[in-house]
Amino acid sequence: MNSSDKAVVVAGIKKSFGEVAALRNVSFEMNRGEVLGLLGPNGAGKTTTVNILSTLITPDSGRALIAGHDVVSDPAGVRRSLMLTGQHVALDDLLTGRENLLMFGRLQGLKKKVAKERAHELLEQFDLVDAGDRAVSTYSGGMKRRIDIACGLVVRPEVVFLDEPTTGLDPRSRQAIWELVTDFKEAGIATLLTTQYLEEADLLSDRIIVIDKGTVIAEGTADQLKERTGGTYCEIVPRQPSALPAMAAALGTMLPATIRATLSESADRISMPAPDGPATLIEALRRISEAGIELLDIALRRPSLDEVFLALTGDNTYGGDEDPTDKFQAVDSYA
Amino acid sequence: MIEHSIVSAAPRPATVPHAARPVVSTVQQWWVLTVRMITPTLRNGELATQIIGSVVFTIGYYLPLKQLMGAVQPLSSYAQYLTPLIVLQAIWFAAISAAFRSATDSVQGINRRFRAMPIASLTPLASRMTASMYRCCVALAVSVACGYVIGFRFHNGIVYAAGFVALALLIGAALAFIGDLIGIATQNPEATAPLMLVPQLTLGLASVGLQPVQNFPDWIQGFVRNQPLSQWVYGLQALAGDSTDKAPEVTWSVLAPGLAWAVGCILVAVALHAMVTRRRRR
Repeated sequence: MNSSDKAVVVAGIKKSFGEVAALRNVSFEMNRGEVLGLLGPNGAGKTTTVNILSTLITPDSGRALIAGHDVVSDPAGVRRSLMLTGQHVALDDLLTGRENLLMFGRLQGLKKKVAKERAHELLEQFDLVDAGDRAVSTYSGGMKRRIDIACGLVVRPEVVFLDEPTTGLDPRSRQAIWELVTDFKEAGIATLLTTQYLEEADLLSDRIIVIDKGTVIAEGTADQLKERTGGTYCEIVPRQPSALPAMAAALGTMLPATIRATLSESADRISMPAPDGPATLIEALRRISEAGIELLDIALRRPSLDEVFLALTGDNTYGGDEDPTDKFQAVDSYA
Repeated sequence: MIEHSIVSAAPRPATVPHAARPVVSTVQQWWVLTVRMITPTLRNGELATQIIGSVVFTIGYYLPLKQLMGAVQPLSSYAQYLTPLIVLQAIWFAAISAAFRSATDSVQGINRRFRAMPIASLTPLASRMTASMYRCCVALAVSVACGYVIGFRFHNGIVYAAGFVALALLIGAALAFIGDLIGIATQNPEATAPLMLVPQLTLGLASVGLQPVQNFPDWIQGFVRNQPLSQWVYGLQALAGDSTDKAPEVTWSVLAPGLAWAVGCILVAVALHAMVTRRRRR
C-alpha cells in the first residue's frame, strides 16, 4: 500500500484528443468508504476522467493513483483494485445471467466451485434467481443493469466507478442501486459516481465535484452547491398565461425587480427565489388569490442540476457575483 | 410500488465479499473466454447453420454445375475438382461468424470491460481466435464429409491429407484474423456480413475452383489464376491428389503462392489490428 491512505488521488490530469482538450486540469482525492459524485453536462469530461482512472486511455500529463497504484506505471495493479460499470451494460448477451457471473468469477481467478457459489449468492442478492438461467438478451433494462453490477462484485473491489448507473432505470431498480452504494460505503469501498441527476448525487454522495469543459469548477457537499445557486425556488403557473402581468403586479415586492424586468410575452410561469421556503409560498398564494387570479400550479422546488450548473458557470464568468439574469435564464431552460 | 427493495430483501453484508482477491491465471482466462464464445454456438443455431451451410454449398455448386463444368475439368471427377472450393467457402463462412462475434463484443462494450480487468491485452484476441479455429474445424470436417458423399477422396496418403487439413486451417486462421479485424474496426455486426460476403462470392466465382483458368476470357485469366482463392484451390487440389495424374503436383511452386497469401493476410491483419487497438487507447 502507498504511504497515503487515499483510495483515489488525481493530480493535474490533462488529456487532449487531437485539437480538442477534453481534460484541461482535473484534480481531486477520495478517501476509503467515501462516495464522490462527479457532475457535469455531456462532454464535460466525466467519461474521459473515468476512462483514464480505469486505464482504458492514458493521460497526456498529470498523475492518478487508484488504491496506491499509478494508472500509467502500474495499470495491472489498478485493474486488480477496480470495478467499472459503464453507461452501457457490458455483458455477454448470449450467455445466461448465471453464466456471465461464472465467467467473470473465473476471469477474476476464482476456482470453479467458488465461482459457482458466488454466482448463486449474487443472483439471490440481486433478486435474479428466477431469471438466472435465461439469456441476458431477454432481460429488462433494470435486470441487465443489476446483473452488470453483480458481475463486478464477484471479487472485492477497492474502488468502484459507477458511470451513470441509473440512467433509464425504473424507480425500483434505481432504489436497489442506491442501496448498493450504501453497502459499498459500509464496506470501506470508495465509490466514484458520475451522474446527470442532482437528486441522485444529493442522496448518495458525501461530496460532489462539478466539472465543465475539462476542469473542476466547484467542489463541496450538495447543500453547499445549492446554496451557491440561491437555495429554493417558488414556481407559479397561472391558468391563463395572459394573467402573468397581473400576477407579477400582485406579487409586488416579493418578485425581485431583475426577474420582473426579464418577464417576456411568451412566458407562462414565474420562478422566483423563495428565501423563506414555505412561508414565501404561502405569502405568494395569499397575494395572488386576493387579486383573483386562478392558478394551475404553485410549488417549491430545489434547483435542478441545470440551474446549479448554469449558476456555477455563471459564477465563473461573472467573478463570483450573483447574476439574477443568469438565474432566470436557468429557470427558463428548466421550464 | 412493491415495498421491499432488491438488495435489502437479502442479507446485505454478503453483497460485497471480504475475502482477498485470488491470483488470476492467464491460461484459465483464455479458456474461460474461449468457452464463452463456443457455448452459445451450440444452442443459438450457429453450429447448425455452419453444418447446413457446408451441405448447401456442396449441393448448390455440385448438382447444377456437375454436367456443365464436369466435362471441362481435367480431374477424374467433378467432386474431386470442386471439393477444395467447397472447403474454402465453408471456412470463409466460418470467418464471417468470427467477424460478427468480434463486432458484437466491440459494440456491446464487453471488450472495454475486459480491458479494465486484470486480463492481459492479448488474451481476448487469443480466445476469439481459438473459437474461430473451432468453427473452422467444424466447417472443414463437414465440408470434407460432404465431399466424400459426392465422391471426393484423398489419393496422396495420410501425410498429404494432413497437409490438406493444415493448409485449410492456416487459410481459416487468415480469414478469421481478417474477419476479427473487420469486426473490431467497424464495431457494427450488421456491416460485417456484406464486407465478408462480397469478396467471398466474387473471388469464388472468378476462381479456378469451379472451372479451369483457360475457360475464362483472356482478359481476366491473369486475375483468376493469381488471386488468393485460386492459389489456395491449387494447393488443396495438389494435396488431395487424384486417381489420374492430372492434379497439380505437390511442389513449392504450387504451394508457395497460397502459403504466401495466407501468411501475408495474417501479418497484415495483425499489424492493422495492433494499429486499431493502439488508436483506441490513445
